[in-house]
Amino acid sequence: MKVSKEWLNEWIPVDVSIDELSEKITRGGIEVDEVIDYTEGIKNLVVGYVESVEQHPEADRLKVCRVNTGEETSQIVCGAPNVRADSYVIVSKVGGRLPGGIKIKRAKLRGQVSEGMICSLEELGIPEDHVPKEYQDGIFIFNRDQNIGTDALSALYLDDQVMDFDLTPNRKDALSMAGAAYETRALFGGEVSRPGSPLTEHRDNGGNGFSIKNEDADAVPYYGARLVKNVEIKPAPVWMQIRLIKAGIRPINNVVDISNYVLLEFGQPLHMFDRDKIGSDAIVTRFAAQDEKITTLDGKERSLMDSDIVITNGKDPIALAGVMGGDFSEVTQSTTNILIESALFNPVSIRKTSNRLNLRSEASARFEKGVSHEFVLEALDRAAYLLEKYAGGRVTGKVMSDGELDLENSEITVTAEFINNRLGMDLSVAEIAESLSRLGLGTKTDGGTLNISIPSRRDDLKIREDITEEVARIYGYDALPSSLPEYSMITPGKLTDEQKKVRIIRHQLEALGLSQAINYALTSREKSKQFTDRTEGLELLMPMSEDHAVLRNSMIPHLVDNAVYNANRQQKDVQLYELGRVFVSRGEGNQPEEIEMLGGILTGEMNHTDWLGTSVPADFYTAKGIADSLFEKLGLSDSISYRQTEGYEEMHPGRTADIHLGGEKIGFAGELHPKYAEDNDLNRTAVFEINIDRLLDVKNGIIVYEQLSKYPTITRDVALIVERSVTADELIQTIWTAADKYLEDVFVFDVYEGDNVAEGMKSLALRLTYLNKEQTLTDEEIEAVHTPVLKALEEGGAAIR
Amino acid sequence: MDTSGISEIQNAFDDAVKTVSDKRSLQDLKVEYLGKKGKVTGLMKEMKNLSNEDRPAYGAAVNEVRSHITSVIEEKETVLADQALEARLKEETIDVSLPGRIFRLGSPHPLSRTIEDIEDFFIGLGYEIAEGYEVETDYFNFEALNLPKSHPARDMQDSFYFSEDILLRTHTSPVQARTMQAKKGQGPVKVICPGKVYRRDSDDATHSHQFTQIEGLVVDRNIHMSDLKGTLELFAKEMFGPDREIRLRPSYFPFTEPSVEVDISCFKCKGAGCNVCKRSGWIEILGSGMVHPNVLEMAGFDPDEYSGFAFGMGPDRIAMLKYGIEDIRNFYTNDLRFINQFKAMEDGGDQSESI
Repeated sequence: MKVSKEWLNEWIPVDVSIDELSEKITRGGIEVDEVIDYTEGIKNLVVGYVESVEQHPEADRLKVCRVNTGEETSQIVCGAPNVRADSYVIVSKVGGRLPGGIKIKRAKLRGQVSEGMICSLEELGIPEDHVPKEYQDGIFIFNRDQNIGTDALSALYLDDQVMDFDLTPNRKDALSMAGAAYETRALFGGEVSRPGSPLTEHRDNGGNGFSIKNEDADAVPYYGARLVKNVEIKPAPVWMQIRLIKAGIRPINNVVDISNYVLLEFGQPLHMFDRDKIGSDAIVTRFAAQDEKITTLDGKERSLMDSDIVITNGKDPIALAGVMGGDFSEVTQSTTNILIESALFNPVSIRKTSNRLNLRSEASARFEKGVSHEFVLEALDRAAYLLEKYAGGRVTGKVMSDGELDLENSEITVTAEFINNRLGMDLSVAEIAESLSRLGLGTKTDGGTLNISIPSRRDDLKIREDITEEVARIYGYDALPSSLPEYSMITPGKLTDEQKKVRIIRHQLEALGLSQAINYALTSREKSKQFTDRTEGLELLMPMSEDHAVLRNSMIPHLVDNAVYNANRQQKDVQLYELGRVFVSRGEGNQPEEIEMLGGILTGEMNHTDWLGTSVPADFYTAKGIADSLFEKLGLSDSISYRQTEGYEEMHPGRTADIHLGGEKIGFAGELHPKYAEDNDLNRTAVFEINIDRLLDVKNGIIVYEQLSKYPTITRDVALIVERSVTADELIQTIWTAADKYLEDVFVFDVYEGDNVAEGMKSLALRLTYLNKEQTLTDEEIEAVHTPVLKALEEGGAAIR
Repeated sequence: MDTSGISEIQNAFDDAVKTVSDKRSLQDLKVEYLGKKGKVTGLMKEMKNLSNEDRPAYGAAVNEVRSHITSVIEEKETVLADQALEARLKEETIDVSLPGRIFRLGSPHPLSRTIEDIEDFFIGLGYEIAEGYEVETDYFNFEALNLPKSHPARDMQDSFYFSEDILLRTHTSPVQARTMQAKKGQGPVKVICPGKVYRRDSDDATHSHQFTQIEGLVVDRNIHMSDLKGTLELFAKEMFGPDREIRLRPSYFPFTEPSVEVDISCFKCKGAGCNVCKRSGWIEILGSGMVHPNVLEMAGFDPDEYSGFAFGMGPDRIAMLKYGIEDIRNFYTNDLRFINQFKAMEDGGDQSESI
């Protein structure tokens, strides 16, 4: 809503600067987004009278004009096609300024002296699409006589600043000059004077012979109309045109302009029908029939739904209620008799219709928020009066209507104690009543109780909390004290165990060299099928793009994108992790399962010290090592196992393992398939993905302390030749199973294939550590345990070297 | 008694020892004189040829030579060891300006840091952290927050729907609704809800279809709007510097009544007016208000008995303002040159007054 200060002052005089006005309105809850100052950059602009116009002797398109600017008559060369003698125009005199830093100088145009410039509205800074059609390709010409030589900005009602209100959805009351005026009153005091409508109702042949009927009160609770005969279609007066322009509406003709003008005054949209084109003597409103057709005034045929509301002539739709008029009943140059509609329409229905047909207008914007009952008739009278005054119309008969207007004020009862408790203030009943009266809300008090009368223009006020807000707003939040809550019970503020663990995981990964990534949860269909055995992702009904059409099933595809993005920017060593959700569909119409996942990607080299030539490669074992360090920190090492898998198309089949926690698969680690890596222009790249929810589910309780042994440990090394396919894990399992006591630790310290080892075989060396915590182990005791271990290994197919 | 042999040996040793420059030669010299077959040992063997009265004096003279040689050798050993150590140290001297073995550090994401800082502040005030679903039902995302299907404010946040009833949450407020519901009408509720949210915006420098939000909610008996102001004032000072002030402006959110926008005095220009605060001296940073009675009631709290406040802010916006990040998409492209700038910890020193 664009509010002109000059127009506002007609409703309520406020003698403050535009800056103070807009600052106070902003602090009061209506954000003034922008102030448009029409005087900015303009100097020496006067009303001129064109005495004569002659063709320029040297240029076809130029005219040489004699223009009286009050103190003098000067020659001005003008290129506008519509310049004519005996007209009042805007003149920027020599030495004058126009917006955009234009200076007007004495000039010679093709040999003819030009002392000044006759201006178009565009040259004064008015956007082209707001300029009336008749002036669009030329200069502006006043349509009434003016005082020659006076300030043109004043004559044009442009000695003015306009505030652009950025209204929150609850403040529909401020979608009108009336609303802006009441808000101003609440903030600055004073009295609001509404424009009057002293119209004369003529009784022509006993009435207007017209009937109104609302078939469905749910669609149209009230429909009012007036008949105005004998109108003359012509331009509206300049002040009205310019006020519309300042509000962002292009003037068309007096009838259309009056309709828009009254809409801006009261926030009540009107519709003007050509009475003689309606095709009957009745208006009947109803919901449209499914697939009923109407051609709207933009010439398009619209197919309707049964939630749309139509205005009909008893048979055919003549307008799409609150949204757009129909083509044949539209006001045209030849219209003489007008039916003015002022009605209430179902807000939800209007919103649906205007959304579906993509027809948003000043009218639909107001109807869909619900218009105020108290202005329906006032606006109707006002429009009739303006047609009488500015279109020579003859108001015929009384208001015709069907339905009920709810003109009774509603009432809210609230105690001062409630308001003070909610705000944390200590206001007296009188102070509260005073704040409310500034909003024009009448209050009756009864002890500590206030009964507040709410006019329909503020029907957004419904509950006592709304009153609390109005009091705080008008009283000013600066007056609100600061305190801290006093709780009914003290509870500790802390992270849950799971939240703590997640932070530790993050910090540990960062200490290990991985940086944190955050990617989009929405991905492409193609990527949603990668690095997962799920074939379905949850798809958006209306994706904005193919890249963000479906929820991710894996963290890895976007991490691959990140690695590629960095590699393309000379960042070859990339180590990233991401903690986020993947989404497992439970079918359309259900919330998916959301799983907190840890994804990681390693490419290039880690911990690369160039001058020493040392680094850690981005391979399976690095990914596994990083994952293991997390399992160790979480105390889960003993429950974790890795099982070779060929289950991922995008992964290296020989270098990928599923990670199992106990018996359950919770993720995988491995190297990208060389082909997949190559397709993405990546070198060897390792990734891992772990279900964090599963890890966090395991509760470890407390750490169990064990006293340190006083006795030494004894180690035995075993070198084995086994088939290449035998895993270290299998051998270690065999050893643990065979050793019935004293075994403390087993690990592989050497793996060898090649010379001296037969084809298809490998050599593995393991170190076993034995300990008796009670006493020093003797050789005999060790042999008693170790011999069965060796035997079990041999039985398992290993040759001991 | 002739002791000239003794002096001769001592002189010969004294000459020889001067030329010794390494441990090995010194060892050889030691053996040559003091060894079993050494020269000094040889002198002792002469003893048997002497008269009884000469023997003590001769013996004493030989012992004197022995102890002379012994002490010279020991001295020499020390000197040689010192020299050897010095040589080794010299040889082992390195260029300390060369880089150390790299243990590369990763960096937290700037949004995580910002969220963690905010979480920690509120944990200190007794809040818990609550998380919820990113894919929500229409009921919890809208209806339970006083946004019925016909509510015009639904236009404000166009959403990503999967079906008529299931959508990506447009704010973290459904976590509040679910948290309250889980409390079964019993206060106090004190939670901070951080998380990702989604809106149908085309991605550009200032819009992202996915971004983060943190909301806070307090519900108990006798919670006042002044408590909200006090809490946020403390927050502003803690996070953005002790001199920060806040300003409440009336606003509208369907789930709060009264509703306010909260501005903080600009931490860059200290209120003088700069490009960060668009020359106003104030930065809009939070939306908040008193929980709407409909929201309390739908979540099972009696609005006559209980009241509460809620507030919400965008870590993306806060991080952008704080660090001067020019493009919100930087948060989601994961360029290491970007992320790694947020590696070092900040301690609220005098460089920056914020967070």
